Amino acid sequence: MAKEQPGSPASFVDQLVVPGDVVLDLSNMANQTIKLGSGLRQESDAISVTKAGKFRLSKPNKYWVESSQKRYVPCLGDSILGIVVDSKADNFLVDIKGPALAFLPVLAFEGGTRRNIPKFEAGTLLYVRVVKANPGMNAELSCTDASGKAAEFGPLKDGYMFECSTGLSRTLLSSPPCPVLEALGKKISFEVAVGLNGRVWVNAASPSTVIITANAIMKSESLSVQSDLNLYAWMEDICSSCGVVYGDTQTPAIQPSIW
Amino acid sequence: MEFVSPEGLRLDGRRPTEMRQIRAELGAVAKADGSAVFEMGNTKVVAAVYGPREVQNRSQQLSDQALVRCEYSMANFSTGDRMRKPKGDRRSTEISLVIRQTMEACIMTHLMPRSQIDIFVQVLQADGGTRSACINAATLALADAGIPMHDLVTSCSAGYLNSTPLLDLNYVEDSARGPDVTVGILPKLDKVTLLQRISCRLCMTDTTGEYKGIRISTRWINYNEG
Repeated sequence: MAKEQPGSPASFVDQLVVPGDVVLDLSNMANQTIKLGSGLRQESDAISVTKAGKFRLSKPNKYWVESSQKRYVPCLGDSILGIVVDSKADNFLVDIKGPALAFLPVLAFEGGTRRNIPKFEAGTLLYVRVVKANPGMNAELSCTDASGKAAEFGPLKDGYMFECSTGLSRTLLSSPPCPVLEALGKKISFEVAVGLNGRVWVNAASPSTVIITANAIMKSESLSVQSDLNLYAWMEDICSSCGVVYGDTQTPAIQPSIW
Repeated sequence: MEFVSPEGLRLDGRRPTEMRQIRAELGAVAKADGSAVFEMGNTKVVAAVYGPREVQNRSQQLSDQALVRCEYSMANFSTGDRMRKPKGDRRSTEISLVIRQTMEACIMTHLMPRSQIDIFVQVLQADGGTRSACINAATLALADAGIPMHDLVTSCSAGYLNSTPLLDLNYVEDSARGPDVTVGILPKLDKVTLLQRISCRLCMTDTTGEYKGIRISTRWINYNEG
């Protein structure tokens, strides 16, 4: 329950909010432009919350609700991991953990023509970008960046894919880099692709490294912001549970490449 | 039977306007998109939400809003005497409908056209007030699933026994055949979304001011039901 006067944005910023909370009152914010992100709705002069989560403000005027959920809602420009379900003449049908399957046009690849259509079997994991996301329509994906280059989009071979909440995948992609990935990268070399739809793909030289990395990322879901000391103790814990001593791996310590 | 002692205490030691202890837990069902366990005293309910997902039965698809479905059931072990009732009995069909209508009113269905949201509610322990516990659990599960909503619905029951208005009836008070209502409100919007009179015998005399209000509303509901 909000005891503060609604309309003073500072009172709600970084606080937990639930559907129905009125976070901003536009009547005392005359002559200001504000931008609303996900989870917010305008009803005449009141801005109310529609999703439970943390209310965020990016200065000067962007507001949104940061929430973590299992199902993904497609959003324009998101980089996600999709799984091919079926292929049709014009499109691949891709599961993106969303409300409906997404379409990946067979020509949406670098240098894609009718002559060289890629062949993906059902079950292929793809790193793709959302190019169309309208409510009530299937989302459209692309395997190229805005300039038509492949830019690391495309099928992900080998490795291991697991699912997490959308909130965790957002944290993994945050800048400055997520402390868990950073701590892992200091000791282990691995490759990771994070999709904003709550899918993470990990690959490394040996299966044990893949398992450690995947376990560490999955378990970091419930990890709150804490000091490095705690993080290292926690990491040792994860590694020992996989039968490996943390920092004992022979591979050179390099930074993880985050896509 | 005496439901309120001369000292003003109920059978389980509560004051007339005191609720039972409530406890909620989110994310109880791993596979569901959103889930919650809600307890009101000894009443325990689990709710799981799947969706928004593609409509299973294409003929039910709505092009301007999401389809909300609800299934209510009671576990066989939820009551004292183990019951074996067929799945689609009248009572659970009716409660399914009540929950569906209440939830539909608070979900922003127009944001998710051509999709379907499934709400499954199961009573694990029944001790009165299952209807309101189910609604509370379903709201929490929807919020956990990240489904856009106008407000969180909250629900509670109230009744009238021994010339005393009682809040949040337990099983013994519920089965005393006094009048009772279940109310669901949108607290932030200050609106009533559900008002249901369950028992039929109304006391016409001796009502306190609070109870008069309830009586007027039940008449209104009867009128609406035709």
